[in-house]
Amino acid sequence: MSKLCTVAKKLSLAGAAFFAVTFAAYYFNLDMKLTAAMEPVLNYFYDRVDRDQHL
Amino acid sequence: MSDKRIGTKNFGKVYLEGKRYRSRREWRGVVDTLYDYSRWLYNWFNMFRIVLSKPRNIKAMFRYRWMSSYLAVPMMVDRHTQGLRGEHLRICHAEQDIIIEDVAKLLDKLFRGDRRIGNDTEFSKKVVLLDENEMQSVMMGFPTVVPLSREIASTYIPVLLNQRAAVHYIDVAQEYGLAGDVCPMPEAEAGVSIDDDAPILGCCAVQCNTTCDGSLLGNGVISKRLEFEDGIPVFQLATPLRHTSEDVQDYAAQEIRNAIAFIEEHTGEKWDWTYYFECAKRVNYATKCRLEWLEMSKTPYPQVFGSNLALYTETNYMAISGRLPVFEETDRKIMKLAEKAFRKKKMAANEYRHRAIVWGVQSHYYMDFLVWLLNCWGIVPLTDMLSMDNTDMIADEDTPENREQAIYDIAKLTERMIMRNRTHGGYRVLLDDLWKFVEEFNADMVILWEHMSCKALDGMHGMFEQRARELGINLVWVSHDLFDPRVVSRQGVRDQINTYMRTVMGEEPVDPTLEILPDEESW
Repeated sequence: MSKLCTVAKKLSLAGAAFFAVTFAAYYFNLDMKLTAAMEPVLNYFYDRVDRDQHL
Repeated sequence: MSDKRIGTKNFGKVYLEGKRYRSRREWRGVVDTLYDYSRWLYNWFNMFRIVLSKPRNIKAMFRYRWMSSYLAVPMMVDRHTQGLRGEHLRICHAEQDIIIEDVAKLLDKLFRGDRRIGNDTEFSKKVVLLDENEMQSVMMGFPTVVPLSREIASTYIPVLLNQRAAVHYIDVAQEYGLAGDVCPMPEAEAGVSIDDDAPILGCCAVQCNTTCDGSLLGNGVISKRLEFEDGIPVFQLATPLRHTSEDVQDYAAQEIRNAIAFIEEHTGEKWDWTYYFECAKRVNYATKCRLEWLEMSKTPYPQVFGSNLALYTETNYMAISGRLPVFEETDRKIMKLAEKAFRKKKMAANEYRHRAIVWGVQSHYYMDFLVWLLNCWGIVPLTDMLSMDNTDMIADEDTPENREQAIYDIAKLTERMIMRNRTHGGYRVLLDDLWKFVEEFNADMVILWEHMSCKALDGMHGMFEQRARELGINLVWVSHDLFDPRVVSRQGVRDQINTYMRTVMGEEPVDPTLEILPDEESW
């Protein structure tokens, strides 16, 4: 029984931590701030792709 | 009017000068914020599940320049849900979330068959490439064939996500001598092909002569590469432009028969009438729902309007064409929410000042302009030109007569594709119908997009003004360049409304913080 309680407690804590982290990311728009930082990195690769550019 | 604030308040303050993103998301009250958060989580989960969990898609992310725009998917949802609460927020999410899932699946399939990425040759043999500006109704009888549009993935959607997504490709097309005064949409699509940035897959392709000189130019460039270099045969579906005339319908039907025969020949599949009539039932249900939403918009309490109506209609009517049952489920869900909100006389913003019909070809880089109109000036965009499509029911019972009628129905749907239905077919569908809708919807204002590169509409400028003066309707011209925000920026678009509302109407904005926004560099 006590083992079950420990598991439930751990699951609740993990759920609460997941909610806190993801909700903070959601509300403060952290996902968009991170992806904006990725854009120049991706552009670096796009500029180096070997292309057969023609009409 | 409700005393409780529904829409945004001082929302302009979360914009950040020179940044892609806003400082934070909107607080909508506990219940609606948690709901919006759950949908945000769901969308990220879906994008990981369908796209980002597969190595081949990661490879594509680093190969195709347009893929970087997909980083901004959550921002697009934020733009369209701005200020929404309760049922309106849920309607918006029902639409946006299903579109996101559908586009994620489109990307996954494109890269699965792409010779450069997944190179699944067996899958590629069942893929038919379709032009972006093309009704997919010609695929309603092929349950095992996979219709895919490279242009939807590479140009159409990216500009909705990132206002500058097409700029690179427009420049590439013009570097190679293509005219700068054609519509930037097909020009960008041609640019993707010239820049060698389109996935290569499929056993054949079908292009449609939709909708203008630019479209024909773009299709020519793309089909040359497809046929002569990639070895993918292309069928040109030449649908009549005079779609309101009865004398073109036999020819239009024959074109559909030819397209079906071409697809059968290259895929080895046969047209399936049972599947066709299943899809036809779903097309009719979607039409019925759209008509009911439009009926609600004729009352003081519209429920499905603005970008909620525009984006969903474009997707469901043109790109889905009854092929996916999940869109019928979404139709039902939206209908239920809309009816509930209508019974409660719900409003999508705190103040409705004007009722507007939005006409002309809308700016693609500023699709959320309709939300801004509502939040900033209290102008309710009841419906838009691209949502006023086919309203006729098509034959949906499998009988020998209906099998013949079905070919004519597919032809009619193709002729009445969203862009073609009003910009072609004569002045009655473009000009006269507008004033009919103004009366039916009890509108006091017309927002008339002037897409400066669209020659189909430019010639009618004076006639619109003349009729508006005669009828005493406030007509506001809003110039833009569809895919190119360098020509008229988003603030340039807003300024045209701001100037009209302040000088002609003598009004102050509902939310003054939205009047001037530093979103020049924003996604």
